[in-house]
Amino acid sequence: MFTANTTLMLVATFLPFLGALVLLLVPKGQRKVFEYGSLAVMIVSFLLSVPFWFGYDRGSAAVQWFQAWTWIPTLGVKFAVGMDGISLLLWLLTTFIGPIAIACSFSSITERHKEYYLWMLVLQTAMLGVFITQDMFLFYLFWEVMLVPMYFLIAIWGGPQKLYAAIKLFLYTLAGSVLMLVAILAIYFLQHKTTGVYDFSLASFQAMAPIIAQQSKTFQILMALAFFIGFAIKVPMFPFHTWLPDAHVQAPTAGSVILAAILLKMGTYGFVRFLLPILPGATKELMPYFLTLTLIGIIYGALVAMIQKDMKKLVAYSSVSHLGMCMLGLFALNPYGIKGGLLQMLNHGISTSGLFLAVGIVYERRHTRMIADFGGLSKSMPVYATIFMIMTMSSLGLPLLNGFIGEGVILMGSFQAFPWAAVVATLGIILGAAYLLWMYQRVMFGPITPVNEKMEDLNLREVLYFAPLVIVAFWIGMYPKPVMDVMDAPVRKLVMQVNPDFYKAESLAAQQAEAARVGMHGMEAPEAPEVQAAPAGMIHGGGH
Amino acid sequence: MTGFAQGLLDALLQDAHLIVPQLFLITVATLMLWPGDLFVSRAEKHRWAPITLVVLGVTAWLVARVDNGLGFGRMFQMDGLTRGFQLLCILGAAGAVALSQRVLNGLKQQTVEYYALILFSLAGMLFLCGASDLISVYFSLELMAISIYILVAYLRDWKTSVEAGLKYFLLGAFSSGILVYGISLLYGAAGGTTTNLADLGQALALAPKPDSLLVFGGVLMVLVGMAFKVAAVPFHMWSPDAYEGAPTPITAFMATAPKAAALAAFLRVFGTGFHSLFTTWVLPLSYIAAASMILGNVAAVRQVSMKRLLAYSSIAHVGYMLLGVLSADPVAGAQAVWLYMAIYVVMNFGAFAVVIYLQGQGEGERIEDFRGLGRKHPVLGFAMMIFLLSLAGIPPLLGFFGKFYLFKLAIEQGHVTLTVIALLTSAVSAYYYLGVVAQMYFKEPAEGETPALGALPAFIVGVACLLILVGTAFGPWLLDWAGKVALG
Repeated sequence: MFTANTTLMLVATFLPFLGALVLLLVPKGQRKVFEYGSLAVMIVSFLLSVPFWFGYDRGSAAVQWFQAWTWIPTLGVKFAVGMDGISLLLWLLTTFIGPIAIACSFSSITERHKEYYLWMLVLQTAMLGVFITQDMFLFYLFWEVMLVPMYFLIAIWGGPQKLYAAIKLFLYTLAGSVLMLVAILAIYFLQHKTTGVYDFSLASFQAMAPIIAQQSKTFQILMALAFFIGFAIKVPMFPFHTWLPDAHVQAPTAGSVILAAILLKMGTYGFVRFLLPILPGATKELMPYFLTLTLIGIIYGALVAMIQKDMKKLVAYSSVSHLGMCMLGLFALNPYGIKGGLLQMLNHGISTSGLFLAVGIVYERRHTRMIADFGGLSKSMPVYATIFMIMTMSSLGLPLLNGFIGEGVILMGSFQAFPWAAVVATLGIILGAAYLLWMYQRVMFGPITPVNEKMEDLNLREVLYFAPLVIVAFWIGMYPKPVMDVMDAPVRKLVMQVNPDFYKAESLAAQQAEAARVGMHGMEAPEAPEVQAAPAGMIHGGGH
Repeated sequence: MTGFAQGLLDALLQDAHLIVPQLFLITVATLMLWPGDLFVSRAEKHRWAPITLVVLGVTAWLVARVDNGLGFGRMFQMDGLTRGFQLLCILGAAGAVALSQRVLNGLKQQTVEYYALILFSLAGMLFLCGASDLISVYFSLELMAISIYILVAYLRDWKTSVEAGLKYFLLGAFSSGILVYGISLLYGAAGGTTTNLADLGQALALAPKPDSLLVFGGVLMVLVGMAFKVAAVPFHMWSPDAYEGAPTPITAFMATAPKAAALAAFLRVFGTGFHSLFTTWVLPLSYIAAASMILGNVAAVRQVSMKRLLAYSSIAHVGYMLLGVLSADPVAGAQAVWLYMAIYVVMNFGAFAVVIYLQGQGEGERIEDFRGLGRKHPVLGFAMMIFLLSLAGIPPLLGFFGKFYLFKLAIEQGHVTLTVIALLTSAVSAYYYLGVVAQMYFKEPAEGETPALGALPAFIVGVACLLILVGTAFGPWLLDWAGKVALG
């Protein structure tokens, strides 16, 4: 049995890249070798990542399995890796989605197999790298490297407008990340000015927060905006979202899955990891604007999704809305909100991947994604209809499925912080239910045409790659405690960094509550009693 | 009288060790023209290329062996900066010679003059890298430029080549006039005693108030003259035409070696010489740098000719490198510029080797001609993709490290706005570089057989690609090492 340690983490991360190097030597025509070879590599990488789930010390907020090797001494760059609970969850999500993305490509990729699977493997390593790095320079490197394979995946195997969509994705994200680079460098030099050392490590950047807080307000706001734009483009938040529908619609199914499940999470991860802990003051200063954009995104994404005729575009816009929910949770800056936001990132990865895969299934069979071309599919494809139903329900937040937990916790957190925003966001959830169910109804029910009648139901391979998603959706929906436990300590630490007032107020409230109701203790009690009562049984509120 | 001549000769001989490489180059080039060429028959002229390469190798060896020192009445200085940039110039010349073979053979235009001119212009560059007096700066610039004017117009039966040469010559002569005028103003402002950079810097910093306009005008004119030589906006108009009209190996040469030499002069004149006048020139030079980055990158987007695209992109790259000149810390600036230039030379020669391979007969070619290259010739396509992505500065390729080093320095020096412009325009540059990649990988190849890549260009492509990939892995050590080299 493998034990979780730094070496194994690096092996699991770089295995896809090594696999790509090996497959590079295989001659072009060997389609099966590329398909099963890359699938095997992804599965092994996933299996190697499983011990980390069990080996993670849930009581500690520290970066675990940390190790750093000197890389560029003059610049203070280290090859530093390690994970805390937040990165662990996203890292596991990536290794989990990897095999699924490969498995769904077998029938949809009909040309240039070698290049396709090589790019997929390279992309996987780049994405995994982003989540394990503990050095800003290394982070930026992985963050940028990711773009190249994604560009090729869309530009070669995409739809009719693929070149436009690919270059748009590339330029939007590149423009965002170079701004981020300026902010990184500015903080780097500020650090040198105050402490006299050059250090790119994440820990030292986070330790800069109090010093940054003493700088001029303009400096702080500019830094925060540079980070914000870089990450907001990736998330994507309104109004930086315009690349997303193009990229999603043009990308091959696996590209959309990875884009939705992992790439968008890079943006939210960036907020959690960098903007909030490094620039808490400026973030709070700008919060009204951030929040406004978030709410616009939630409602606008949902409304635009409602009128889409193309299923893939509908799912793409639903991502804008759902990611808005994640951001709302993160911006609440309290444990519930942030935990909910993180959980919803995972949920979105599961359910939206499922929806994109489902759209891919009918597209492979009919070469159309127009809702109007379908109807009554539940008669000819019962298994498909069932899975599609589960994924739809998971996405719209039906109890017992994962989406419900995420949205519920986010609303709790955001209600504590800004009740009116939570109310507006609820509207987004209702709209979400409307467009998803409406799409489901138009595709699955109603009269069936002869062409649709002949459509084949899912084959074994397809069922196999949906199965893990369905299982995880139910698992998180019914018993989210293990997932919540993993993020508990790091989130606590994050809230201490970004919003220490929260705990002051909380301990005050707790003392009052203690005085009033003797015997009730051990619970992380927010001020509002009705919020406290509802979830306490189901969600582990964070141990001490 | 003999006493004076004797004294002069002694003084020259005493410092001659500083310019051994230049003396060697000029002697060999002259001997190649006469009597060397008498012994080579018309069909055998291509043999001059390997000989030139050997000469360049020996020159590099000599450069590495020259001791540091200041000589010729403090007109020429040999130090780490000089040596580092001299080696880059030699590398650029060697690349150009290696790439020339196929083109010149195809055109039946092999002559000894071609190679001799490259050596003469290289001698000018080697002088320029170490010129520490405005007069020696001017002389070396001219020696370098006049040889290149001829090389641009080398295909004398071709209208475009002659037109490009003439255009370059007229504008070049014009800018030289401005430069000389600026020098004379500064000479006057400093009291008419010196043109030595160090002395001028001191004297001008103390110039009384009424003279400050004179100083400003002089510095500005020197700046304009030199900006013309590196093709920075708005003094870049000659460069796309000259690039397009020149034989492609000469285009590759112009994009690298003279730029390296001129940037060395830039660093010497502005970074160290006029350091005391920093506040006088920092603003105009900032505008020049910003305009170069913006216009170079934006104009490149609309090009259909690959050579013009590379011309505009080289304008943009010069804009980035001017950020290093703007550094208030001249040593760090020189390091960053040198590193960037070294990486740029490698990437550029790789890209030009592929262009030359595609163009066959030396005619101007379009970006469209790259279509399907990635599928027809996977190795070459891959190499070209590496060069283009590296030029665009996509991490973790070598080009990124060069940019990172420069931009880091610029932010450290407080040029935040300029750096933001640099970064955003480098995002724009990704657009046109990827446009070429898109042609190579996403378009069907054209009909017809493709000829094999010659041995030397294949070598250049291979070495450049390897350097970029290996440099990617060893970027860190490279940075440390480069810092030490450029420090001297």
